[in-house]
Formats: sequence, C-alpha cells, structure tokens
Amino acid sequence: MTDALYIVGQFLMAFGVSFLLIAALGIWRLPDVMSRLHVLTKADTAGLTLIALGAACVTGRLDTLLALGLCIVLVAVSGATIGHLIGRAHLAKADVE
Amino acid sequence: MSLAFDILLAVGIVIIAATALTTRDRITSVAGFVVIGLLVALSWVRLGAPDVALAEAAIGAGLTGALLLRSAGRLKPATRTTLSPSYRIIAALIATGLAGALVWVVYTLQGNSLYPALVSERLLESGVTNPVTAVLLNFRAFDTLLEIAVLFVALILIRIVAPPPPQPVATGELMLPFARIVVPMCAFLAGHLLWQGASEPGGAFQAGALLAGAMLVLILGGFAMPTPRLMYWANMIALSGLAVFALAALGTEALTGKLLLYPNGTAKIWILVIEAALTLSIAATLCLLFCGMPRRPLK
Repeated sequence: MTDALYIVGQFLMAFGVSFLLIAALGIWRLPDVMSRLHVLTKADTAGLTLIALGAACVTGRLDTLLALGLCIVLVAVSGATIGHLIGRAHLAKADVE
Repeated sequence: MSLAFDILLAVGIVIIAATALTTRDRITSVAGFVVIGLLVALSWVRLGAPDVALAEAAIGAGLTGALLLRSAGRLKPATRTTLSPSYRIIAALIATGLAGALVWVVYTLQGNSLYPALVSERLLESGVTNPVTAVLLNFRAFDTLLEIAVLFVALILIRIVAPPPPQPVATGELMLPFARIVVPMCAFLAGHLLWQGASEPGGAFQAGALLAGAMLVLILGGFAMPTPRLMYWANMIALSGLAVFALAALGTEALTGKLLLYPNGTAKIWILVIEAALTLSIAATLCLLFCGMPRRPLK
C-alpha cells in the first residue's frame, strides 16, 4: 500500500514539474504580458498543486497533507489574485498610452 | 543528487544577484532581490536552520521587498552614474577579502561549534524545547532586547523622514475575496507560529511578519484606512513591545537580582508573555515602516 502510494506520489510530482517547465517555457517564448500571465497563473497553480499532492503521497501522512493543502489554497488564491491585479494594471497602462 | 541541488542553488543566487545589481530598471532589481531572499531561505533550510529560513522568507524577502517596491515607486528615475575605477577596485578587494575570510572561517571550524552542546546541556532549564527560542529569549535574551531597541530606532527614523501614506488605488473585484481568505489565515498562522516557537521553528519575528503582511493586504486593498486614530494605536502597540521587554528585564532584576534571569520554574510564562507582546509590536512596527506616519502640522 505504502509502495503504491510512493509511486503515485513520484508520478504526481514529475507531472507537476513538467507543468512548471512548460510555464517557464511559456514565459520565455510568449510575446506579451497577457499571454504570459495566461501561462503563468494556470500552469503555476496546477504544477504546485500536483507537486504538493505528490509530496503528501510520498510521506503518506495525513498531517502533512493538511499543511500542504494549506499551501495549495494559499498559492491558488494568491496566484489568481495577483494575475488579476497584473492584468488590470497592464490594461490601465495600455489605456493611458 | 542533493549536492547537485545545492550547487544549482548557490549558482542561482549569484546569477540573480548579478542581474539585480546590473539591471537598469528598479522594479526588476527589487524583483531580483525578492527572488534572492526566497532562494537564500531555501539554502537556510538546506543548512538545517528552518528558523532563519522562516524569518528570511517573511522579513527578508516579503516585507523588505514590499518596502523596496514602495521606495522604488517614489524615487526619481535612475540617472546613469559611473563609478571611478579606483572605487571599483577597492570594492572588489573588500568583497574578495570578506569572502576569503568567510571561507577560511568555515573551513577551520569544520562545521564544529561550541554552542549546540552548551545549549542542549541546559535546555531543560530554559522553559522551552526549541533550542533557538531558548537562546533568543532565555540564554541571550539581552541581545534580543537590544534587537527590539533597533526596531524602535528604525521607527523613530521613519517618523522623522515622514513619508506620505500610500494612496489607495482601485484593486478590482478579486481583492475582497482574496483578503477574506488570506487575512484570517495569516492571523491564525501567526498564532500558530508564536505558540509553536516554544518547541519547533517559529517565534515572534516570523509571527509578527505574517500579521504585518495581513495588515498590508487590508491597507493596500483599501479595506482599512490608515486614519490618525488607527495610526495612534499602531504606534502604541509598536512601542509596547520594547516597553514589555524592558519591564520584564527590570522585573527579573528585582526578583532574582540578575537582568533577564527568570525565577525558577516560571521561564515558560515569562517567555510566552514577552513573545506575545513582541509579535504584536513587530507586526505594528513593520506596518508603520511600510505606511509611514502622518506628518504633524508645524505650529
């Protein structure tokens, strides 16, 4: 049981890291603020969530899952809000110019 | 595997430091500084010092980053200044000498330090089980008292400089739900960190920084106006930390005849009261450092 959980955890973490890699690639290759934000907010949250869930599976403990769950909620909420704020600021700046 | 990670981390810190120093744009510089803070926090974790990592991430990266960003917005655009070669050479010599001295010290110590043995020998007497808190608030409490005095001096300097308070800007629809989730969570986690400091990594500085962060969300989101009345109370709370600590020092002096030597068996209560007062005071001080204090009209 623990072994199966360990393997599942490793898979989840690898999947999460690939999300973050794609996000990094997107920020590097995409042309403007809005499309970069699009990549960043989604892939970032998904990547971190997968890595945190994977880490919880690897340790196999409920209290770690609780702490990591708190991290997921914080990153998801702040990622979405910051994406929104940057987008707003960018639009306001574009209106001025 | 972890060696590869450590090398990557060290190289990453140096590269981002170089980027932050050489870039022309101030905001990019500050962003580099924040990233360095987070990577340095990660390296503190790798060095087995989670207490320092927490403080570095919360104060070094988070709040100092916020202070720098606010200052960057208020400064005039950077003018191109070229340093004379002699300055550059002197700076390079000093930096190389300092780095060399550090490397020499680390190599001669071989990772051996006298402190862990001394601390663990008398940890039971300290009233707490986290060795870091035992040193900060019992064995070397005098040093911490002086640190709080340093924060007090910083507050006075801000009062003299008196920057204008931040102007609230429209922040959109997401800020209210964000604050509703994050602010209570920060308050809850600050209490947790304060209580946990007795046995595990945590303590007044980390908890205070979290509380200050929650306050900044409220102020920047426009949910709490920095009115004179609020500022007055923030001032009082900021000053109360040093006052409580100094009173505790005088009280222990009267009770035991030694400065900050807690009476037998009551160390935990003394430490908890001081830490609770410090948490609120540090939170208020950091908040005031960010917001500045309203300038009183001259008579």
